[in-house]
Amino acid sequence: MDINKAHSGTDLDEPMGDPREMLALLEEQQRRVADAQIAPVVWLYFIWGVAWFVGFLALWSGDENGNPWFTIPAAVATPLFIVLLVISIVSSAVIGLRINRGVRGVSSFSGAVYGLSWSVCGTAFGLLGTALISHGMSTDLANLYFPSGFALMCGTIYLGGAALWKDKSQLLLGLVMLVVGAAAPFAGSPGNDLVFALAGGGAFLVTAAVMAVRLRRNR
Amino acid sequence: MDELDPVIHASARLKITATLATLEVGDQIAFPRLQELLGMTPGNLSTHLRKLEDAGYVDVVKSHQGRTPATYLALSRTGRRAFEDYREALRGLLGESA
Repeated sequence: MDINKAHSGTDLDEPMGDPREMLALLEEQQRRVADAQIAPVVWLYFIWGVAWFVGFLALWSGDENGNPWFTIPAAVATPLFIVLLVISIVSSAVIGLRINRGVRGVSSFSGAVYGLSWSVCGTAFGLLGTALISHGMSTDLANLYFPSGFALMCGTIYLGGAALWKDKSQLLLGLVMLVVGAAAPFAGSPGNDLVFALAGGGAFLVTAAVMAVRLRRNR
Repeated sequence: MDELDPVIHASARLKITATLATLEVGDQIAFPRLQELLGMTPGNLSTHLRKLEDAGYVDVVKSHQGRTPATYLALSRTGRRAFEDYREALRGLLGESA
């Protein structure tokens, strides 16, 4: 049969008799496609995990009532936190665009809305904080509001992403972010920074590690 | 025993249809990206895509991105159905339930 003629000496076109082999080939290829989409997400979680862990530890250590072992100057801690945040946001945009590259059609809308929701929600939460400050919110309260607002925003968007892509890692991280964002202010400032570093950063890093191990096992 | 669809029952074309089946209905994938996911040479991929296209399993959309021509691919409705039937037939042969 013409369609089964081998092409350029390869056996790729040969019909294979064994159904088990063919089913394995089918499943392996689909897993490979899924893994190609998961791999960049692992990097995203890792980058955010480092930003949360190091950034919030720095903020906690930059406050004289924070880290009991050592203090770093606030002039270093705050810029370090901002730099880590900016790096993470830029990497997210770049990596996010790459995840579904080469694919167009109905899912482009979902991806675009998801991507946009980060900047739109970020701006909204930021503006709310600015308005609260302009109406007398103290620095102490602002230190509670901003990181929690950020965590609640992440949690909410992750839940949306989980629903959109049936993604359990986003479901788990979303729930952790919501719990951490809501609970951390009870620790006061700067105790909340330590909660964000350990629970928030920790959740990202553990998720990234687990996913990386699974990906390696699939190879 | 069901006959296995000869269009899909060759490893290269099985891999291609399996990959295209992971796309959401209504999505298309660019040729270079598909090639990357399959690890096939452009020539080999083109040959097999033509066979799938001739069988009515794959829709090929040629468009332009700026001045560069771009080819996008997707399983047709027939192709998606054929792939699912093929997978069911394999499972049936192996005694697995759907």
